[in-house]
Amino acid sequence: MSVEFAGLRLANPVFTASGTCGYADELADFMDVDALGGFITKSITLKPRKGNPTPRIVETDAGMLNAIGLANVGLERFVAEKLPVIARMKSAVFVNVAGTTIEEYVAVVERLAGEKALAGFELNISCPNVKKGGISFGTDPAQVEEITRAVKKACGSKVLIVKLAPAVTDISVTARAAVAGGADALSLINTFTAMVIDIETRRPVLTNRTGGLSGPAIKPIAVYLVNKVYREVAREARIPLLGLGGIRSAADAVEFLMAGATAVAVGTASFVEPDCAVQIVAGLRDYCARKKITRLAELTGSLDRPA
Amino acid sequence: MTQERASRKKGSHTATVLSNVQAGECFWKLRFRFEGEAAQAFAGFRPGQFIQFDTSELAIPSIETIPVALRNGARRNVLLRRPFSFSDVTVESNVTTADLLYCIVGPASLRMTTLREGDTASIVGPLGNGFAVREGTRIALLVVGGMGLPPIRCLAKSLSVEHPDITAVAFIGSRTVNALPLEERPAVFEEDLSLSVPTFATLGVPSMVATDDGSAGHRGPVTECLSQWLQENADRPREEIVVYACGPERMLAAVARIANEKDIDCQVSMERRMACGIGLCQSCAIECRLADSDETIYKLCCQDGPVFDAREVVFGTDDA
Ligand SMILES: Cc1cc2nc3c(=O)[nH]c(=O)nc-3n(C[C@H](O)[C@H](O)[C@H](O)COP(=O)(O)OP(=O)(O)OC[C@H]3O[C@@H](n4cnc5c(N)ncnc54)[C@H](O)[C@@H]3O)c2cc1C
Ligand SMILES: Cc1cc2nc3c(=O)[nH]c(=O)nc-3n(C[C@H](O)[C@H](O)[C@H](O)COP(=O)(O)O)c2cc1C
Ligand code: FES
Repeated sequence: MSVEFAGLRLANPVFTASGTCGYADELADFMDVDALGGFITKSITLKPRKGNPTPRIVETDAGMLNAIGLANVGLERFVAEKLPVIARMKSAVFVNVAGTTIEEYVAVVERLAGEKALAGFELNISCPNVKKGGISFGTDPAQVEEITRAVKKACGSKVLIVKLAPAVTDISVTARAAVAGGADALSLINTFTAMVIDIETRRPVLTNRTGGLSGPAIKPIAVYLVNKVYREVAREARIPLLGLGGIRSAADAVEFLMAGATAVAVGTASFVEPDCAVQIVAGLRDYCARKKITRLAELTGSLDRPA
Repeated sequence: MTQERASRKKGSHTATVLSNVQAGECFWKLRFRFEGEAAQAFAGFRPGQFIQFDTSELAIPSIETIPVALRNGARRNVLLRRPFSFSDVTVESNVTTADLLYCIVGPASLRMTTLREGDTASIVGPLGNGFAVREGTRIALLVVGGMGLPPIRCLAKSLSVEHPDITAVAFIGSRTVNALPLEERPAVFEEDLSLSVPTFATLGVPSMVATDDGSAGHRGPVTECLSQWLQENADRPREEIVVYACGPERMLAAVARIANEKDIDCQVSMERRMACGIGLCQSCAIECRLADSDETIYKLCCQDGPVFDAREVVFGTDDA
């Protein structure tokens, strides 16, 4: 089950996604968190963020909208309270970093780059729920390249994953920009900005008006985008992809691997089945046994190869 | 010393449905049976704690039986689990049974009506922190608004069993009497308009009912009954009294104001839309005051609550 991901040897290719797995101790009641291939924290910002007023979520057909607003304890308290817990994990831990200016991103990464317990960082330049920065970084290729370069310099020897926004005209353009800036890996996709209206009150259900759509509803789009970036950018640049968006079974995960992902992350599905990610590891093992696949890497980008 | 507020064994469990019946005009009663490890986990269930119930694979009732107002919602798929309280938990050797009272408001609760005896259900729990019983409490004032009844009924039972020294009185408010999740209509009992509500009376807990339309008991908000009781019992030391409340946030705010004026401890059980129920998603934020400061922070309803000290909650920030 082990895979190589941006120079790291991971026990398996299954991660939990940023913002959907707390700070790890919340999941410990339900599964062995050390059985995960990787773990990505909620977005951390330089200063604490309270987040948006509620309602912050609303369910839709086969998905949900969230507008949490990057609520997090901030860098200082993260280091003091959360890092010691995360440091005990055996899985590869990535800190997801967000901010409103390049300087903020760099400051967070600089502070954490020396932490032995961390495998690397995931750069969130694609959160749809913060007014400044966020999505605007992620949609402008020049800014993607600039921020990636600045953060990569602060990273030291740690792995830098850049998380791509899905709602752009051509995702390969931003993917190329991140690679040019020095990204070691790309993760895709983040959520799509969306809206649900309460027809009785004529108001959006979410206080933030809009929220990010996640869950099974976005899976086919995510698979398509992973495949597009794999074919047009990642294969040639030899950059691994972390695929996510609506994954809730091993079969879903295999689709992402075939499309070109080296690893996958589970987000919304953990809300329904808290141990979903480790169930997917077991399911992948079964699939490989059934298909006589000895190295998972054989699956990556295997779309259109004879079955 | 306060009593344990939470059972520590959170987990993903399977329950068997013992019965599921429409028990009143507006609500259903679902009875679960837990065995083995699940029975143990739920034997530790504290009143005010909750569960997350997966209804995504349940059948949809036939469309003609669905109230017109809910038909659009009925066609919506369910993805996320839904939070529910228990109104009663009974532990007998290796089996724990629990009652869930629910009202039909949308796709998940509609699907729940199709559960039959012998069906299994996927339940995550017990979750959150329940009501705390502080040492020195002599009087528990239980305030209910409409569907806030289940956890308060559960608390009334645990008080009567575990704290027979505490006198409990229930104040039950509703828009109209038929909207209350009561299996039997309250019967006129005393001259002072207090009513015997059987589900509390059998526990030895007297009750007063207040309805907006005057269909039973006092006509007006339930907080008027609470205020009146406090006035009539003004000689009781305030340290002996604790108010426990569950209901619409507007009612909780009014109850908190009354308790605060008299400097009486008050615990409120709050509601928020929840995606996970276990602290993963931060969807269930409750704005809370920091002690000795003007600053507020968000706590999580599913982890820090759903029961909060009324003094810390900033009410009225969510009217969903
Ligand atoms: C801790 C807790 C305990 C609860 N206990 C009970 C109980 O014992 N019995 C019971 O009938 N219900 C209880 N609820 C409410 C219950 O979770 C909702 O009624 C249920 O989620 C509705 O699902 P649905 O798909 O039928 O309707 P939906 O379509 O999801 O909701 C219908 C409407 O109800 C409102 N709503 C939904 N969920 C919530 C929520 N969590 N908080 C506030 N408003 C909401 C929304 O405005 C929505 O438009 C509890 C909620 C919480 C947070
Ligand atoms: C409640 C919630 C909070 C999220 N918070 C973050 C976050 O802080 N940072 C981030 O980069 N992505 C965040 N995401 C996006 C997820 O990591 C993921 O990219 C997205 O949900 C798609 O995957 P899924 O369909 O499996 O959930 C969040 C998603 C949800 C549902
Ligand atoms: S419901 Fe997810 S954190 Fe409370």
